[in-house]
Amino acid sequence: MKCYDVIIVGAGPAGMTAAIYAVRANMSVLMLDRLSPGGQIVNTNEIENYPGSGAVSGAELAISMFEHTQELGVEFDYKTVTSIVDNGEHKTVTCLEESSTFNAHAVILATGTMPSKLEVSGEDRFSGSGISWCAICDGAQYRGKDVVVIGGGNSAVEESLYLAGIVNSLAVVTLFDLTADPKACDKLRAMPNVTVYPYQDVLEFTGDSKLEGVKFKSTKDDTEHFVECDGVFEYIGLKPSSESFSNIGIIDEFGCIVVDDEMKTSLPGIFGAGDINVKKLRQVVTACSDGAIAANSAAKYVESLKG
Amino acid sequence: MIKEINSEEFDAMDNSGAMLVEFYSKSCGPCKMLAFVLKAIATLFPEFPIYTIDYDENQELKERLEVKGFPTMLFMKEGKEVNRLEGLQQKPAIVCAIEEIYSN
Repeated sequence: MKCYDVIIVGAGPAGMTAAIYAVRANMSVLMLDRLSPGGQIVNTNEIENYPGSGAVSGAELAISMFEHTQELGVEFDYKTVTSIVDNGEHKTVTCLEESSTFNAHAVILATGTMPSKLEVSGEDRFSGSGISWCAICDGAQYRGKDVVVIGGGNSAVEESLYLAGIVNSLAVVTLFDLTADPKACDKLRAMPNVTVYPYQDVLEFTGDSKLEGVKFKSTKDDTEHFVECDGVFEYIGLKPSSESFSNIGIIDEFGCIVVDDEMKTSLPGIFGAGDINVKKLRQVVTACSDGAIAANSAAKYVESLKG
Repeated sequence: MIKEINSEEFDAMDNSGAMLVEFYSKSCGPCKMLAFVLKAIATLFPEFPIYTIDYDENQELKERLEVKGFPTMLFMKEGKEVNRLEGLQQKPAIVCAIEEIYSN
């Protein structure tokens, strides 16, 4: 079986940057992703803080990054990685599809995060038919209707700004206050059809065959509220996608990879990059930075093996 | 084979056999990424027709087919919908849906 120099798991900004740097370091590279290239930025309407790009849609940025990897000849495949085994000088990556396996001297894990769920009553029942996690995909069906956004961080506020432009009314229910970029928060608060409910804990989603509303309670005085709505969008944070390597001793109690400043994990030849790492600022630019450092470290590691 | 069509072309075309009809929007990131996956699907199944329809420009058709968001993939056989996948999907899920059409 062929042994790649580097296998990159995850094709978001961190994984794609790692692929570009690893190929340019003359490594043989295989990049795997279970969905499509892009990662979380695919769901982002507009990115305004990636240097040199001005305001750009997440998908457009993802496409140009992916095209860059393809111009450099990075091998890419759609695979769901289920396990990683450290055999010392080579690692075995097993995938769900036809139980396919790949070997590499080094592995860069850039699996990123996925949206968290509230796990309250009614959420499963209306998931996909009333409750959504992508305003760009599902917002159009709520044109002129009443919508609730759950969350107050950057994603919640950015998507609320988009939704407020098309819906009749928008209620933003958040556990704390709005914590996004202050400029975006001010813009959202100034919109006439937007009501912000800060310091609220969501209790349940109500409705029989169709979503009818959201019940929530003040965390300050326990007062209960009910807002009628046709649709809900949840943006309450992200959880790390680390199931496939949770048993090899490289993640913390939250599921994030612990790395040093060279993106090395505690296992030689296994590196972490991007949102999956323990870090304070999760942005496209920091993911790309991690990817570049991880690829550089992986290349040095592979060269040391080859002598 | 991937081909962009509109409502009129959808209504006029020969709908015998199996096909995939995907509703997308130009403003939708996941739709753009699904396009990558569909390209890979078209390579795997070169004879299987994949039609893409602009959700925003074909409102009457999307309502008639009860398409509520995008991307939405309708798997059709002899003019009838036999399966539907909503949102960006994994390539194996789409492959499985196509194989199911042929096996039934």
